[in-house]
Amino acid sequence: MIVRRRRFRLEPYVEFAKRAIAREATYRFDVFTELTSVAIRIYLLRTVWVALYAHNAEPRGLPLHAIVTYSAVALLMGLILDRDQTRALYDRLHDGSIATDFMKPISVPLSFFADGTGEVLFHALLVVPALCLALLFVHIDVPSLVVLAAFALSFFLGYSVGFLLNFILNCTAFWTFENSAVQLIVTWLTDLLGGQLVPLVFFPAALAGVVDVLPFAAMFSTPLLIYVGIIGPGRYLEVMGFQLVWIVVLGAIATLMWRAGAKRVVVQGG
Amino acid sequence: MPAERGRMPIIEVAGLRKVFRSIKREPGVLGAFAALFSRTYEEKAAVEDVSFSLEPGEIVGYIGPNGAGKSTTIKMLTGILVPTSGTVRVAGIVPYEARELNAENIGVVFGQRSQLYWDLPLRESFELLRSIYDIPRDRYATNLAEFSELLDLGRFMDTPVRQLSLGERMRGDFAGAMLHDPKIVYLDEPTIGLDVVAKEAIREFISRVNRERGTTVILTTHDLADVERLSKRIILIDEGRVIYDGPLERLREKYGTHRTLVITLADTYPEIEIEGGVVEHRDSSVVRVRFDRREQSAEAMIRRVMERYAISDIAIVEPDIETIVRRLYLEGYEA
Repeated sequence: MIVRRRRFRLEPYVEFAKRAIAREATYRFDVFTELTSVAIRIYLLRTVWVALYAHNAEPRGLPLHAIVTYSAVALLMGLILDRDQTRALYDRLHDGSIATDFMKPISVPLSFFADGTGEVLFHALLVVPALCLALLFVHIDVPSLVVLAAFALSFFLGYSVGFLLNFILNCTAFWTFENSAVQLIVTWLTDLLGGQLVPLVFFPAALAGVVDVLPFAAMFSTPLLIYVGIIGPGRYLEVMGFQLVWIVVLGAIATLMWRAGAKRVVVQGG
Repeated sequence: MPAERGRMPIIEVAGLRKVFRSIKREPGVLGAFAALFSRTYEEKAAVEDVSFSLEPGEIVGYIGPNGAGKSTTIKMLTGILVPTSGTVRVAGIVPYEARELNAENIGVVFGQRSQLYWDLPLRESFELLRSIYDIPRDRYATNLAEFSELLDLGRFMDTPVRQLSLGERMRGDFAGAMLHDPKIVYLDEPTIGLDVVAKEAIREFISRVNRERGTTVILTTHDLADVERLSKRIILIDEGRVIYDGPLERLREKYGTHRTLVITLADTYPEIEIEGGVVEHRDSSVVRVRFDRREQSAEAMIRRVMERYAISDIAIVEPDIETIVRRLYLEGYEA
C-alpha cells in the first residue's frame, strides 16, 4: 500500500487566525477595561518611581526618564505577552472536545498556534490606543532605529519563549486535569522574575545572576534592557543568543510533551 | 459476507483490542491522599476482541450497553486512539498511522459534543469547515443549499452555535459532518435528548444521505428506534466482544419469540392464571401475559382467557427490539 501524504495547506490556519481576531473583537467590554487598566498601571508606576527616585539619583545607571520609559514599554508589552495564547488547548482537553479536533484533517498543534496568533495580533493592535493613552501621563523615550530594530527582534524572541512556556503549561492538561496551581506559580514567577514590574538590574547581584538565566528574563527583561540602553549593541549577540537557546530547549520540551500527550488522548467517558 | 458479493469492504476490523490503564484508588480521604504518593494501576480492556467488516453503502447499528466498548471502537476507527492489538483499515487507510488522511474520508457526529465552533455563527462554522476540508466552492454551495433545506437550517444560520437549542445544534452538526462528502460517517448517539419530531428529521436525513450518496453509516445508539428505522444489520457488543452480527430480522425471529397479551378485565379477580402464559405485570384491571409463540398460538391463548374471565379489551403486542436485546444480554447468545 502506498502511503499517500497530505499536501500542506496554509489556508485553514489563516482562517483560524482570522476567526480568533473576530472572536476577540466581540468582547468589547474586555477591550475597554484592558486599555484602561494598562493606562492606570502606567500612571501608578510613574508615581511610584518618581517617589522612589526623589532620594536616589540614577541607581544602576537608570535615570528617572529611563525607568518610566521601561515601565510603560513593559506594560505595553504585557498586552501581548500576558496572553495565554494556547489556553484553547487546555480548555479543549478539559471538556473533551479535543477529540473532535483530532477527527479533522488538520495539524492540531498548528491550529492552536494559529488561533493564539490571531488572538495576540488583535491585542497587539491595542498597543496603539494604549500607547496614546499612556502618552497623556508619561513621556516615553524613543531610542535610535538600530536599538528599536534590536528591541523588535529580541521582543519577537521573547514572545516565542513565552508562547512555548505557555504551550508546555497547557500541555500538562494531558496528564493532570487540574493545573491551575502550576499556572498560578508560573504567573507569579513571570511577574516577579521576568523584570516587567521591577528591572532585574535592581536585584541583589547574587540573585540577579540566577534570575538572568531563567526563561522569564528572556521574555521581558532582555528586550526592555535593550530598549533603555542598559544592554548595548556589543552584547546584542550574546543576549539574543541566550533567548534563542531557551527557544530551542523549550521547543524540544514542548514537542516531546505534545507527542507524548497526543498519544494518550483519552477522552473521558470512553 | 462482503467477499461473497465480491466487493471490497470499506471498513475492516480484526481482533481489535484496547486496554486502558488507570490509577486504582483506595476509598476515602486517606486513600486519595495515599494516591498522591504511591499509585497502583489497574488495566481494563474496554475492547476485548472485536472483528467485523462493512461494505460501502451499509448502515450498521453498533449497539451495546454503557461501557460495552462502542465509543472506544469508534475512536479507533477515527484514528484518535491507537489499538493495543488487532488491525483496523478504513477505506484502505490505517487510521492511527495516517490520522489526517483518514479524517478526509470520514464525518463524525457526537450527540453529546458539538464539533462546530462555539463562538461562531453556524454559517461561519461551515465556512471554516470548508477551508479545513478544502471543499471546492461549487460543491460546498450545492451541499450547503441541499442540507439547509433538508434540515431547515435557514432560520438560525447566522446565530452563534452556543445560542442554538439542542435540536438546532444537532441539525447543524449533521450538515457540518456531511459538507465534505465523507465516504463514511460515524454517528455516536445522534438523537440523544431530542424530541420526537427532531429525531424523525434526523433519521430521515441519515436515511436519505445513505440512499442518495451511498454513504456508509455506523450508528452507535441507545435508542433502538433509530436502529429499527435505519439499519438492516446490527452488531451487538457487550464487555468488549461482538455477541451478535447479522440482520435485525434474524435476531427478532430468534429472540423475539415472546408475545404479550394485554388484557383489560371487565370484572375483578383476585388471581389471574392462564395456561401456557406468565403474568408479567398487573395493575388493577390491566394484565400483561407473556407467552412463547412457538408453543402457543395466539388464538388458543385468547380463547383460554375468554373462557375464564370477563374482559373488555384484549391486544397482542409483538416484542420490540429493546426487549429482544435485553433478553439477549440476560441470557447470552447461542449462534
